[in-house]
Amino acid sequence: MSERLNVKDLITVGIFSVIIIVLIFIFGMLGYVPILMIALPILAALICGIPYMLFLTRVSKFGMVTLMGLIMGIVMFLSGHTWVPIVTFTVCAFIADCILKMGNYSSIKNAIISHGVFIIGIMGNMLPFFILKDAFMSAMRTSMGNDYVNVVAPFLQTNVLFVLFVLTFICGLISAYIGKLVLKKHFERAGIA
Amino acid sequence: MGFELNFSIDPRTKIIILAIISFMVFNDVPMYVSGILVLIPFFCLFFSDYKKAAVIYILTYVIAKYLQITILPNATGILAIVLITFSYTATRMLPILMMGYYTIMTTKVSEFIASMEKSNVPKDITIPVSVVFRYIPSVFEEIRSITKAMKMRGFGLTFKSLKSPLKMVEFYMIPILISAVKTSDELSAASLTRGLSNPKKRTNLISVEFNKFDYLFLAISIAGIAVYIYYLYGGALIA
Amino acid sequence: MLKMENVSFSYDEMRNANLKDINLDIGDGEVILLCGESGCGKTTLTRFLNGLIPNFFDGKREGKASLNSELIDEMPIYEISEHVGSVFQNPKTQFFNVDTTGEIVFGCENLAMDASDIKRRLDNVVRDFGLRHLLDKNIFKLSGGEKQKIACASVSAVNPEILILDEPSSNLDSKSSWDFKAIIEKWKSQGKTVIIAEHKLFFLDDVIDRVIFIKNGKIDNEWTIDEFKQVNHRNLGLRQLNLNNLTAKHPDYYCSSPEFMEIKNFRFNYGRTRVLDIDSVRIPKNEIIAIIGKNGAGKSTFANCLCGLKRSCKGELILDNHSLNRKERLKKSYMVMQDVNHQLFTESVLDEVLLSMDGENEEGACEILDNLNLIHLKDSHPMALSGGEKQRVAIASAIASKKEILIFDEPTSGLDLKNMMKVSENLKYLQGLGITSFIITHDYELILEACSHVLHFEGGKIIDSYKMDKEKLKEFFLE
Repeated sequence: MSERLNVKDLITVGIFSVIIIVLIFIFGMLGYVPILMIALPILAALICGIPYMLFLTRVSKFGMVTLMGLIMGIVMFLSGHTWVPIVTFTVCAFIADCILKMGNYSSIKNAIISHGVFIIGIMGNMLPFFILKDAFMSAMRTSMGNDYVNVVAPFLQTNVLFVLFVLTFICGLISAYIGKLVLKKHFERAGIA
Repeated sequence: MGFELNFSIDPRTKIIILAIISFMVFNDVPMYVSGILVLIPFFCLFFSDYKKAAVIYILTYVIAKYLQITILPNATGILAIVLITFSYTATRMLPILMMGYYTIMTTKVSEFIASMEKSNVPKDITIPVSVVFRYIPSVFEEIRSITKAMKMRGFGLTFKSLKSPLKMVEFYMIPILISAVKTSDELSAASLTRGLSNPKKRTNLISVEFNKFDYLFLAISIAGIAVYIYYLYGGALIA
Repeated sequence: MLKMENVSFSYDEMRNANLKDINLDIGDGEVILLCGESGCGKTTLTRFLNGLIPNFFDGKREGKASLNSELIDEMPIYEISEHVGSVFQNPKTQFFNVDTTGEIVFGCENLAMDASDIKRRLDNVVRDFGLRHLLDKNIFKLSGGEKQKIACASVSAVNPEILILDEPSSNLDSKSSWDFKAIIEKWKSQGKTVIIAEHKLFFLDDVIDRVIFIKNGKIDNEWTIDEFKQVNHRNLGLRQLNLNNLTAKHPDYYCSSPEFMEIKNFRFNYGRTRVLDIDSVRIPKNEIIAIIGKNGAGKSTFANCLCGLKRSCKGELILDNHSLNRKERLKKSYMVMQDVNHQLFTESVLDEVLLSMDGENEEGACEILDNLNLIHLKDSHPMALSGGEKQRVAIASAIASKKEILIFDEPTSGLDLKNMMKVSENLKYLQGLGITSFIITHDYELILEACSHVLHFEGGKIIDSYKMDKEKLKEFFLE
């Protein structure tokens, strides 16, 4: 780290973590509808681009994005989402930070790609779904019969996970692009970006 | 309150227990192990003035478990799928969600910072995490206030507004983000004038020490995880 | 103790200086008032003294500012904070903790004092400020006055020699303002130097020693308090120091024979406590009505119920012989909120008005904007405007949606005289359009300036409803 983060940076990280976490939680409510639970990462990716891009206007040092990932992971952990989000968010945020650094924290292209990567961290929240999958399958087998499970099973396999990854990434890019437009439309004109 | 137990546990203990419980949800384990992880959040909540939440939690859990054991093996149809979803989510995820709820509701910012600093967690982590706890209530207050403003202009949850969900997102997002920027500036300025940037190690009014409850709960949960590991890999280890 | 020599400053190198050639010498134990119009540079001056310039705000600086003959800009800000404590305007954003006790000792902890020392300091401020009942509470649940007390206690715990207050009373009702004065007196008796930048002056008259009047970034005049009492405050654009000097401008109703509306059966509970309980009250239509009462008297609950925002409040409003239920009231009324940022959504002022119209009619929208003096801003982003302008945009959107009842929640908090007069003009303009305005306010000057009827709330009830009467009003404000 070339430049240490100061109090202002740390508070900025905290405030924007809250915004993104609250958005994820609000859309996470939809996750209680079982099927939509799978769509949570996509929804989150679509929505978080706007705050993320605004956050980046206040970032010029390496470490802030990584730290935000870590903080979000910790808050997810403390609110009962297992420890996995800490790992996924931190790793994804670190890669996002590196991408931003390559663009000297000023390249728009890098900013958009970094959001795509950053938001993949949310896959850590999906863990319950995959844990439950096995339990689900065995329970289904007894009550619904083998045939049913054999039809459903392929949809719950790893290729779904892979598709989800790709979709989340793509939605992350789209939403960051929208975020950039919103920045122009609102925040730059309001004099805060 | 009928009795004075003075129950409180250290934030570090809460976090360790949370980690242990979240580790244990990965596999199905026999009742005598899962019982421990189910009862810890119950007792924590029950002894710290969240009696109602504790009772609702334990009842939900018992019903879910009962469904799982007695009814589901023979059930079929759509209802079965709904019940399966309910019972498995409840039995697996509820304990950790309740432990998380307990941790967040009963930890003061100052107490959290104190105990984290005792474990040498750097300011770079404690400051943003404290800001998160402090700012979450404000955000919800803002959301309520914006909802009110939208209602007065005829954009409640009505047909008119559902036609353009993107507009709704924009209407909520812009005021919230603008106030986020403002808050982060003003809070930073206020914190600086109160010496938050002092490089010296902070001191704390509240002395965080492990007490008998900490040791008790830690011992129970560590015993739990030991049995759990033995159950999963024990055979292999001995063989 | 504090000294400024030829200090100039601008936040932005391209723009005009925000402070010009300030020379100031502040001695031990002085209580100083900084006053002047909004944007005159008061706040900037305080930022120089508490080290936020240059530690937080950057810009072009000239001259020297020193604290105990040490240059302020060479001291790290945490060192300054041992000597200078700051209280800010917005109680929502100056707290770092969620619980009151943690907040009071926060500064001491940052400065690495011993736990036993902190305990002693906590006990001292709790005793001095009478805070026992506020300990270990959630800060967000406190009233504005209580929040500001906690803020004062927490800077006081560090025991700095200098206290800098930047518009601390903006969000306080009159009783809390008097409490605030008691705090300043306490500090004064402890021999501390207090520098207070304020618009609201009425609660300060016998506690300050010296007044510094700032205009366009320069020190325009300096008075002792006795000289200041003789000055004509209105001519300087200042609020009144002595509220006894004011007279009511509208002791009669605006309409020569006013019609009345009636409010019936407004009741509302929070959990089991009843916070609003009104059987029936008749209120003159098309007048400007002040709603007064202490914090927690039920004023905002009443406003929310009147606007139809509280689902469980079943009462009715009888207007022009029609009984309006909750949903109909929601259509006819509009509240200009205290944080007006929450009710502006679009990307330009014009869009904001168009959004409220039934069919989009640009000409009509422009006319409304023109009447409210906003037409030159029609393409600006609402969030880029000043507080007063934002408020007018909100009013414009209410007019555009043909609302008949407007409720203002503290429209003049933190406003100087000029802006308060503008608010009063807007209210009179609305009256001319046939709109009934309700104003929840703690601002005695505004009420005398514009209002013609008063509703007095206490304990969720309307205990009095009267035509403007200065003597009655004074009893409430100057108790």
